[in-house]
Amino acid sequence: MTPAVELLEVRKSYGGYVAVDGLSFSILPAHIFGLLGPNGAGKTSTIRMMIGITSPDSGSVQLFGEPLRRRALRRVGYLPEERGLYRRMTVGANLVFLGQLAGLSVATSKQRIDAWTKRLDIEDWVDRRVEELSKGMQQKIQFIAALLHDPDLIVMDEPFAGLDPVNTMQLKDVLVGLRAAGKSILFSTHRMDQVEKLCDSICLINRGKAVLQGSLSEVKNSNGRRFVQIDYEGDGGCLAGNPLIDSLNDYGNHAELRLKPGADSQELLQSAMRQLRVLRFQVMDPSLEQIFIERIAGKDD
Amino acid sequence: MTDFSIRKVWIIAKREYLERVRTRSFLLSTFVTPVLMGTFLILPTLISTSTARGILQDSERPARVVIASDNRALAELASGELTRQHGTRYQPSVVSPASPAEREQLDKKLDDSDIEGYVWLDASAIASRHVVFTTRRMGDFILQGRLGDALSYAFAEQQMVKQGSSAIDVAATLQRVDLKAVRAGSTSATYNEIRGAVVVFILMFVMLFSLLSYGVMVMRSVMEEKSSRITEVLMCAASAPELMSGKILGTGSVGLTQIGVWLGMAGFGASRSLYLRTAMTALDVGPSLIVYFVVFYMLGYLLYSAIFAGVGAIFNSIDEAQQWNFVVILPLIAASAMILPVATDSDSLLSVSASLFPFCSPILMFERLAVHDPPRWQVALSLLLLVAAIGATMFVSARIYRTGILMYGKRPTIRELSRWLLHA
Repeated sequence: MTPAVELLEVRKSYGGYVAVDGLSFSILPAHIFGLLGPNGAGKTSTIRMMIGITSPDSGSVQLFGEPLRRRALRRVGYLPEERGLYRRMTVGANLVFLGQLAGLSVATSKQRIDAWTKRLDIEDWVDRRVEELSKGMQQKIQFIAALLHDPDLIVMDEPFAGLDPVNTMQLKDVLVGLRAAGKSILFSTHRMDQVEKLCDSICLINRGKAVLQGSLSEVKNSNGRRFVQIDYEGDGGCLAGNPLIDSLNDYGNHAELRLKPGADSQELLQSAMRQLRVLRFQVMDPSLEQIFIERIAGKDD
Repeated sequence: MTDFSIRKVWIIAKREYLERVRTRSFLLSTFVTPVLMGTFLILPTLISTSTARGILQDSERPARVVIASDNRALAELASGELTRQHGTRYQPSVVSPASPAEREQLDKKLDDSDIEGYVWLDASAIASRHVVFTTRRMGDFILQGRLGDALSYAFAEQQMVKQGSSAIDVAATLQRVDLKAVRAGSTSATYNEIRGAVVVFILMFVMLFSLLSYGVMVMRSVMEEKSSRITEVLMCAASAPELMSGKILGTGSVGLTQIGVWLGMAGFGASRSLYLRTAMTALDVGPSLIVYFVVFYMLGYLLYSAIFAGVGAIFNSIDEAQQWNFVVILPLIAASAMILPVATDSDSLLSVSASLFPFCSPILMFERLAVHDPPRWQVALSLLLLVAAIGATMFVSARIYRTGILMYGKRPTIRELSRWLLHA
């Protein structure tokens, strides 16, 4: 399967500042890809190169198996983080304009606007001016604008920022539906909880470099099942000296801990049972957030 | 990456055009400006020039002037000459002898507006030929000039008759010379002072005003898109050069529409009103002048809108841009300061070089074309320089625009700007 987009050793600097440093990844059809990283990590710079707004200093960007050309951008839908609409124009006029720019006829645009606004429950707002709409409402319009021309690659920078839970669910369902229809979706965020539920694979970047990448299960496995929660009775002080434990949060009769790399959780259970009455012992999947904080914060020390 | 889609430029220009044409400010400026301009510019000019040509002869009340003198013959000669030269335009009458009592009465008539003024020709005035005209119409230089001419004529005639010439000889001797300037090498184009003055002022004003307001409109529009963050949404669908040219063309078409409406209004007015038609004929506005105007307007607009688009991309708010705006419009201010010197001496070195300088030529070369026939090569050269300057400006602006529209927050330094320029 040809990836919808493929970055190879892409590098971009502004003046003396390196925004993206040797980044490589690709996104397959019917996949949701999460581009993660703290603020200023280089997410937006990476996205801008993917869709030809800027070009990389070195490395290559391929769209649909070919070097990037403007024509290929017709198959890309983009929802930038910094987004807006013409405030004095109506919702419908905004969407028709953006649809036309994306290559649609006025009639097709109108047809699709009709369908999308019905699907997202905003059909009553089509003839209103954008300035009358709430922020969240505008965001739904922009979401539609990015999808109007039925793109094969959908790039969304913080698509859920500022949305209430109901609208977030609605848009999430749309994205899942698009994945089922074979579209490639990249979405960029620093909100880990959203990624965890939605993404097939991720790339975590920090200071322009990939810190961690792969499918979600790969990423979790490679970071080991190293998180353990214990409910116990007895003197928890013995845990503090245990050589298997890397870090510990002891609450008296509940402890959350992280094992040292390579340490076996079964061994810890045995040693704990010798000294304590163990009521519950659970090995946890690390959350992406934990991995994120561990990786990024660890680098900063 | 270099493909440039005319279709996208068209879509962008169309949106820009329709949005601007529908605004209240466009309607207002399109329909109120001619009215204001008519009131402040055309009417006074028309009245004074048409006074000169006698266009308004029938509609205007004749000016009543009294010539008071002890020398009745002299006063009657002057009064007769005024009537002979200007027909019913003036209604002179003679009071003789000129006694202090008469003068009091004349002052009272002036107060009651029964007369427009009187000439007091007492013995000392006749001897010294320093004559006083007492009037409420201090600004009517034409009346004063003609009265002076008529009096001079009367003095001369009386003198000659005294020396024994016949009345016919006197008339022949004193016949005025009618001088008309014809440009070297041209048979038709007579230099027309009236046309020069009026056309220069109306069209210069329209061009300056329009270049400025539509240039600034491009700038504001770029800033609006930048601050509303729509640029980034558009950038995936259209390239920076497409966006910039669409914006410039769309806004420019609004300007052309406005000027078209104005020309149409003038044409319609001329077809419906005898008064306006006479005035237009007097102004001698031919189709070639309109063509020159449109060509120079369009080129001037392209030049200035390209600069303004770049300025709009650099700054985040109108306030920030204000001081730089001044730098941009400086050549326009210089050009407007040159309007008068160019009108009076259209072929001087200063006039020629200013009319070749691309940032002034839309106004000044057009002015020279309106006032005179400048040599063909100068017109061609100014067009060439203008087009070259447009090319260079567009190139520089497009590069600044491309980077600038995605930069929010901090205003760039000159060094950063030059990096935007050089950066491929």
